Amino acid sequence: MISSKDTVKEAILKAKAKKVYIEGNFVKLFADTSDAAVKEYIEECKRKDIASRRKRLQITKQVQKQNKELEEAAVIKEALVIELQNALDQAKQLRDEAVEDLEVMQKRTQFELIGTIVKVALWVIIGVGVLTTLMYAWAITSGTDTQIIGSTWSNMFGILLTNAFSIVGTIMGVKYATDKD
Amino acid sequence: MMINSILLIDDEDLFHLVFEDACSILDITLSLEALDSSDEADKKFKEWFPDDPNDEKPECVFVDLNIIGSSFDGIEMIRKINFEYGNGCVIGIISSSDDKQEIEKAKKSGAQFWIIKSDDIEPRLEEFKEDYEGYKDKTNPFKIYR
Repeated sequence: MISSKDTVKEAILKAKAKKVYIEGNFVKLFADTSDAAVKEYIEECKRKDIASRRKRLQITKQVQKQNKELEEAAVIKEALVIELQNALDQAKQLRDEAVEDLEVMQKRTQFELIGTIVKVALWVIIGVGVLTTLMYAWAITSGTDTQIIGSTWSNMFGILLTNAFSIVGTIMGVKYATDKD
Repeated sequence: MMINSILLIDDEDLFHLVFEDACSILDITLSLEALDSSDEADKKFKEWFPDDPNDEKPECVFVDLNIIGSSFDGIEMIRKINFEYGNGCVIGIISSSDDKQEIEKAKKSGAQFWIIKSDDIEPRLEEFKEDYEGYKDKTNPFKIYR
C-alpha cells in the first residue's frame, strides 16, 4: 500500500504495479518527467481518463436527449388530455341539448294531440247544441209537445255551455304552453 | 492556454456532467465548479466581493440564460457580477436559446460571449478556448458560438 512516507515516484510505481490509475484533473497536475516508468504511467492514466470521460459524455448526452424527448412527449400528452377533455365537455353539452330538444318535441306532440282532441270535442258540442236547438225550434213551430224536448234542450244547453267553457280554457292553456316552448 | 478556474451556473444537472467532461477532454481547465441556481452564485460573489483573500473567485463564468428555480435569470446575474461585484472575470452566456433580443440584452449587461448549447458542445468550447486570451485581456469583441 502507499504510505505517506513514500515519495511521489514510489507512490506512482506502487499504483502502477497494482494497475490502479489516477483519474480526473489530478493527473494533469503532474509535470513532464524524463523518468520513463513514471511518464508511461502518467500517459496511461491520461489515456484511460479521456476514454472513460468520452464514454461518460456520450452516455450523459444520450440521457439528456432521452430526457428532452420525454419532456416533449409529456407536453404533447398534456395537450391531448386537454383536447380530450374539451371534446368530452362538448359531447356532454350536445347530449344535454339533444335530451332537452327531445323533451320539448314530446311535450309539443302531446299538446298538439290534446289540442286536436279538444277542438274535435268543441265541434261535437257545437254540433249537438245546434241540432238540439233546431229540434226544439221545429217542435215549437210545428205545435207538437215541447215539454220533453224543452227540458232536454235546457239541460243539454247548460251542460254544453259548461263543457264549452272548460274546453275553451283547455285550448287557451295548450296554446300558451305550445307557444312558450 | 488553460483557464485557471471556471464557474458554471446552470439548473440542469446533466449539463454539469456534459460540461465537466467536455472541459476535461479539451483540457480547458483544471478546476470547475458547477452551481444550479443564480441565488447560490450571487451568495458566493457577495463573499468574494470586494476582497477575495483566498483567491477563490473564478477566472471565467458561464451562465445559463433561464435558470429554473432561481430568483433572477442569467442576464441579471451577469449584470450583477459586472456592475455590483466589481467584474474581474471573463463572463458569458451558455444557453440553447439564440433569441436576438436576449443576446442584445446580454451584451448590454456586459456578457463577452454567447455559446449555444447543443448535442455537440465540444467544437464550440474548443473555439472558445482558442479565443479565451482575447476575452481575458478584453480585446475580443462579443462573439456568438453557433
